Amino acid sequence: MRLPDSVTGSFLVVLGTAAAYGGWLLPPVPGQPVGPNVFPLVIGIGLALCGLAIVFGIGHTFEEAEELIPLEDGQTAAAPPPQGKLYALRALLPPALLLFYVVSADRLGFIITAAIMVYVTSTALGAKWKLALPLAALSPFAIHLIFGKLLRVPLPAGLLPTPW
Amino acid sequence: MLKTLIEAFALISTWEVIIAMFAASVYGLVIGSLPGLSATMATALLVPVTFYLSPIAAIATIVAASSMAIFSGDIPGALLRIPGTPASAAYADEAYAMTRKGQAELALGAGVWFSAVGGIAGVLSLMILAPPLAEIALSFSTFEYFWLALLGLMCATLVARSSPVKAIAGMFLGLLVSCVGIENPGGVPRFTFGLTDLFGGIEPIPALVGVFAVAQVMRAMLTPEPPPLPRRKFGSIMAGQWKLTKKYHWQMTRGNIVGIIIGVLPGAGADMAAWVSYAMSKRFSKEPEKFGTGHVEGLVEAGASNNASIASGWVPSLLFGIPGDTIAAIAIGVLYMKGLNPGPTLFTEKASSMYAIYLMFIIANILMIPLGIAMIRVAAYILLAPRSAIMPIIMLCCAVGSFAIGNNMFGVVTVAAFGIIGYVMEANGYPVAAMVLGIVMGTMVEQAFVTSLIKSDGSILPFFERPVAAILAAMAIGALLWPVMLWAWRKVKPVRTGVAATSR
Repeated sequence: MRLPDSVTGSFLVVLGTAAAYGGWLLPPVPGQPVGPNVFPLVIGIGLALCGLAIVFGIGHTFEEAEELIPLEDGQTAAAPPPQGKLYALRALLPPALLLFYVVSADRLGFIITAAIMVYVTSTALGAKWKLALPLAALSPFAIHLIFGKLLRVPLPAGLLPTPW
Repeated sequence: MLKTLIEAFALISTWEVIIAMFAASVYGLVIGSLPGLSATMATALLVPVTFYLSPIAAIATIVAASSMAIFSGDIPGALLRIPGTPASAAYADEAYAMTRKGQAELALGAGVWFSAVGGIAGVLSLMILAPPLAEIALSFSTFEYFWLALLGLMCATLVARSSPVKAIAGMFLGLLVSCVGIENPGGVPRFTFGLTDLFGGIEPIPALVGVFAVAQVMRAMLTPEPPPLPRRKFGSIMAGQWKLTKKYHWQMTRGNIVGIIIGVLPGAGADMAAWVSYAMSKRFSKEPEKFGTGHVEGLVEAGASNNASIASGWVPSLLFGIPGDTIAAIAIGVLYMKGLNPGPTLFTEKASSMYAIYLMFIIANILMIPLGIAMIRVAAYILLAPRSAIMPIIMLCCAVGSFAIGNNMFGVVTVAAFGIIGYVMEANGYPVAAMVLGIVMGTMVEQAFVTSLIKSDGSILPFFERPVAAILAAMAIGALLWPVMLWAWRKVKPVRTGVAATSR
């Protein structure tokens, strides 16, 4: 997800301006020269200025190219994964699964939701069902034992309550 | 003094602390040795667990896990040429070259031994530096705190291995995140967009878990799996280490000192310490031509350096609440949670807790030697675990852990959001550490800034009137202008040489 500097920089300009404007609108503390409005104002202006500098490429020379460690002759390089247009979107899977947890944990319960999360993550990272399935069946119970039982985190029971 | 020391001993000699420390050590060793799982991530995932421990046990887990993880990052570095943590990246090539020469034991033994020595040197610096600095800090007013915090933030942007403009932008982003909520000078909802969940502000800990753990799982989705570790039999691991210590005692001391200094600087942690020390070792070595071919000298210096920075990173954290590195940033969150609010008075009012922290650091570093040797011997088996089995568990821990912090689902949303933010920032060269520092320090910076402004009646002049404040101000402004000067100098220099070339 390497975006051009002009895109990220412009985003920062917009964000900074919005923050400064939002801070400006906040009501001051009566009888005081400053209040909750000053800090966002300063930060917003700073952020917008940084964004402008990034758009114009200032400081770009300081960035170091990522060092790639070449493989030794003894090792064989892994086959390059298939690179489709949608391939980069795979990175969004973990946050999507976390949101899935937020939405469904209360209804399905911790064990079922966690099993789905583990299975999907594991498969996405290239595990065969022989690994992913037992992992999805066992790890939610282990985590529940540690967090739910030992540390008393109120994990939702949902459809499938744990035996303890 | 003796009484506090005995009290400190009593604090740490409970079963809870001993078990917590041992378990956290093993946890730190395992996470640190797995490529892609950093020491910071290990510490961040530990935080939800510390909620349910006593204050001393909570700190014990962080101290033990972070020290162990920094060492055990050396193991895959030496055996696979893939550093387990970024702090081992500086000398992974060198260590791997030694393994290829058949000196894996020497390389790994040096890792354990000089890590432990470095760690203890770091604690000594913490013990010696912190109390006198606390004396000075007692006389600080909000002006000094403002400049100190600003200096800390600027240091973080200076040491970033990226564009300073982007680092400053990252820092501002972090400060902006800390603006959210009603905890501000006016007590009005700020940037909450009418969401009650945002009234309490964005918790730093879920944000850190998102930035360091979820973002890492996201990166794993797009990168190929590292190769498995070839199994090998090891000879004696500690053999020859004493000889190395005698031969390279000067390099070791220099590594310790550099590590301590870099640890104290806010935002610069173990990875920076290792890079600087390795470079320094090469620069001042009597046999620099041997570097890169499997020469142990750089390993000694950098290994001693990165572990020294771990303990000294706690100096500014305990004194001012300004984290010395990202691990200390997490530790500060835990300290606040446990009622050990950072500040100079901590050393007078909670002296026994401070001594307990020193003792735990020393114990963790001594424990590192036997546990580290055991870890080296079983590393081949642990590294057999495929990424597709580890990452799902990390995901579950992220979800459950962030839920546990406030027992509400909004924590999980925060983790997911910061996972994306951290991933995008990293991919585009914005240093994440700068943002983290901004989030952790935001409230403190704002309080110092606004209180100072109210005291000075809106005037800027009193910010420079007190002598210490003026010195800190000069340093902070210097740090801000440094990249500008460097940039200008780089612009001018090629022109000059160009002119010289044509005039000749």
